[in-house]
Amino acid sequence: MKRNSTLFLKEEYEELVKKSIDWKLRILETGSTPHSMVDGKKVIMLCSNNYLNLSNHPRLIREAIEAAKKFGAGSGSVRPIAGTMKLHMDVEKKLAKFKRTESSLIYQTGFAANAGLIPQLAGKGDIIISDELNHGSIIDGVRLTKTDRAIYKHRDMGELEKVLKDADKKKYNRILIITDGVFSMDGDIAPMDKIVKLGNEYGAMTYVDDAHGEGVIGPDGRGIGAHFGIEGKIDVEMGTFSKAYGVVGGLIAGSQDLVNYAYNKSRTWLLSGSHPPAVAGAQLAAIDVLETEPEHVKNLWNNTKYFKKELSSMGFDTGFSESPITPVIVGESSKAKELSNLLFDDGVFALPIVFPMVARDKARIRTMMNAGLTKKDLDFALEKFEKLGKKLDII
Amino acid sequence: MNLLFQQYLNIDEWLYRIEVKMQSKIGFVVNPIAGMGGRVGLKGTDGVFKKAVELGAKPVAPNKAQEMLKEFISNFSKNDDIKWFTCKGEMGGNELENAGIREIEIVYDTDDKNTSAEDTKKACKKFLDLDVDLIVFCGGDGTARDVFKTVGKKIPILGIPSGVKMHSGVFGINTSATAKMLHEFVNQTLTIGDSEIMDLDEDLYRKGEWNIQLFGIAKGIVEPTYIQVGKTHYESVSDDEIKDELTEHIIDEIEQNNDFLYLFGSGGTIDYVARKMNLYNTLLGIDAVYKKKVVGKDLNENKILKLLDRYQNAKVILSPIGAQGFILGRGNLQLSPEVIKKIGLDNIIVISTPSKLVHTPVIRVDTGDKTLDKQFAELEFMMVVVGYRLSRVVKIQNKLKNHV
Repeated sequence: MKRNSTLFLKEEYEELVKKSIDWKLRILETGSTPHSMVDGKKVIMLCSNNYLNLSNHPRLIREAIEAAKKFGAGSGSVRPIAGTMKLHMDVEKKLAKFKRTESSLIYQTGFAANAGLIPQLAGKGDIIISDELNHGSIIDGVRLTKTDRAIYKHRDMGELEKVLKDADKKKYNRILIITDGVFSMDGDIAPMDKIVKLGNEYGAMTYVDDAHGEGVIGPDGRGIGAHFGIEGKIDVEMGTFSKAYGVVGGLIAGSQDLVNYAYNKSRTWLLSGSHPPAVAGAQLAAIDVLETEPEHVKNLWNNTKYFKKELSSMGFDTGFSESPITPVIVGESSKAKELSNLLFDDGVFALPIVFPMVARDKARIRTMMNAGLTKKDLDFALEKFEKLGKKLDII
Repeated sequence: MNLLFQQYLNIDEWLYRIEVKMQSKIGFVVNPIAGMGGRVGLKGTDGVFKKAVELGAKPVAPNKAQEMLKEFISNFSKNDDIKWFTCKGEMGGNELENAGIREIEIVYDTDDKNTSAEDTKKACKKFLDLDVDLIVFCGGDGTARDVFKTVGKKIPILGIPSGVKMHSGVFGINTSATAKMLHEFVNQTLTIGDSEIMDLDEDLYRKGEWNIQLFGIAKGIVEPTYIQVGKTHYESVSDDEIKDELTEHIIDEIEQNNDFLYLFGSGGTIDYVARKMNLYNTLLGIDAVYKKKVVGKDLNENKILKLLDRYQNAKVILSPIGAQGFILGRGNLQLSPEVIKKIGLDNIIVISTPSKLVHTPVIRVDTGDKTLDKQFAELEFMMVVVGYRLSRVVKIQNKLKNHV
């Protein structure tokens, strides 16, 4: 049979372009700063995950440069062979101390942590129980297993308990409950205290993906364990350095047993090159900044509270967010897209989220707060929201 | 998100769908006498229309049809581009006009003052000839059956609930839900999937016998299932792909329990699974499978009981009827209380496509045995398999309240 082995690449791409669903990449001509230059336009940034603006913090930049000068541009190997530098170990020690857990492990990315660790925690004869709105990286991690999976309604503890009861009755060997910490569409938070309690009751392991909570919620931004006062009680606290910490990399924090197991078994960790020294240097500095400069987390929350309050008083529906992710619910999908475009024209960068990502009548603009935005910046953005909200009959 | 959590499509894809939509051609037929028997205690109108009128029955369906149309016009259809084909008078034309819809074409007329099932069928035949995209009908299970007899699986059908009995999956839960489904179909945000046509044998029922049969599998309107293919890009997955996953699941299940007899229930989903496994399957009946081989076809209760005597361990695979959610007591009376007791509640496997579950919020059982129904009710929920090794919680409700 004669085949054109690569024709599909072109054809499928062209199909995406035809339907306008190819990614049109926005190009940042500045760093990811509160005021960014995007596609040649100066905008207030309301859609980056750089919550604390640490990616621009002088200490992180300095430590990255110093580490590169001292240890080079790359690490030379994967962690298990010759790519573990003292710098990596220092980050893990410092992170565990910060998270108040016995130990921690850095992965190459958050995705690598979920895709690498989850398949090692459950297999045939086990069950993974998952919140219906969990992130795609969790889903992919779960898909790599031969385990049974059950879904519970978003944050519904009654339903979670039903699934646990059923799993208990069916005598699964291991039960693993997985949830996002802060959910990225609505900004609501998983009731981790209750999940841990249920986990203990049924002998289930608990795993939280706290990507949007690390550096954001809990005292000093120590994450969801600290937020609920259950530090060290969640079996796996997974997070990322790429959002509030302002660098890149995935992380897990928990017991020494967890870490020993994880680095011996996670294929993503074992088979990927380790972080360059500059990354590790910046990670170390990020934790240091969180420990010594509480003003960043404080600013983030002050900004968040002000922004939410003002939007609500204008008449916008901001949903049930408990975090710096604030949805501005506008109704129809076309309206959300129009508002996003008009905001961009007016110098505010915030993306629309539409059905089927959210319910048909709950299309929205998702805003993500940044500690580096001033009151003047927020007022500028709020004024645009108000003006365009009225123009589009949203408020 | 994964495929069971449906959802998610890129906004441009979404708008693209809306922008490129074509004018929809809808066939609209009302069975004006549907539902009349209920008010006068006849449990149906099939064949007893005169008696119903004598007892003082008043028309129900025309009002229901208008209610749906008005809801559709006022809440949903502002920009929907529809060409309506319908019948003269109370069989559709009046209702459309009363709802303020002018873009209609009368394509069927009957001289007979008292319309019958034959008129519904003839009208549907006409709609088929005109190549409509969807037939919207107003009536009950009897009307659904008449429409299905003519249309089969050629085009989708959507029912405005107005009969005495509405066990079929092609109905919206109420007139408002039907209006919304119609709007979403026209805007191509809903897709086409299997839907059960159920009907009670009314003669037997009036004699006190309860026998709801699965009459066939029509094309209905269902919520598509989406999977995430990029950060905010989602692709809809066909029902067949989901059913392939369900097949893989059942194969695994059977391989792991090699000494179990499996009873395959009725309906489109289970039929698909069986056929994928290269097993003979009775679409509307119960078959038995042992070690991946069929050991009994289209079994009645006695035959099932005999098999259960022969095979010590057994499980039964069921799929809920769309919208109504019945897994037992509708269309599968062969699975009698005695059969279910022998198999055991723990050995019931319920499978469903996620799209069907969107419009099927609860599972119902009506075995005819109060004790057994109570045992189901005490379970409170069932884990329904919605993909390969993937399940989710669905509540159990003991019978439909006030249901005929």
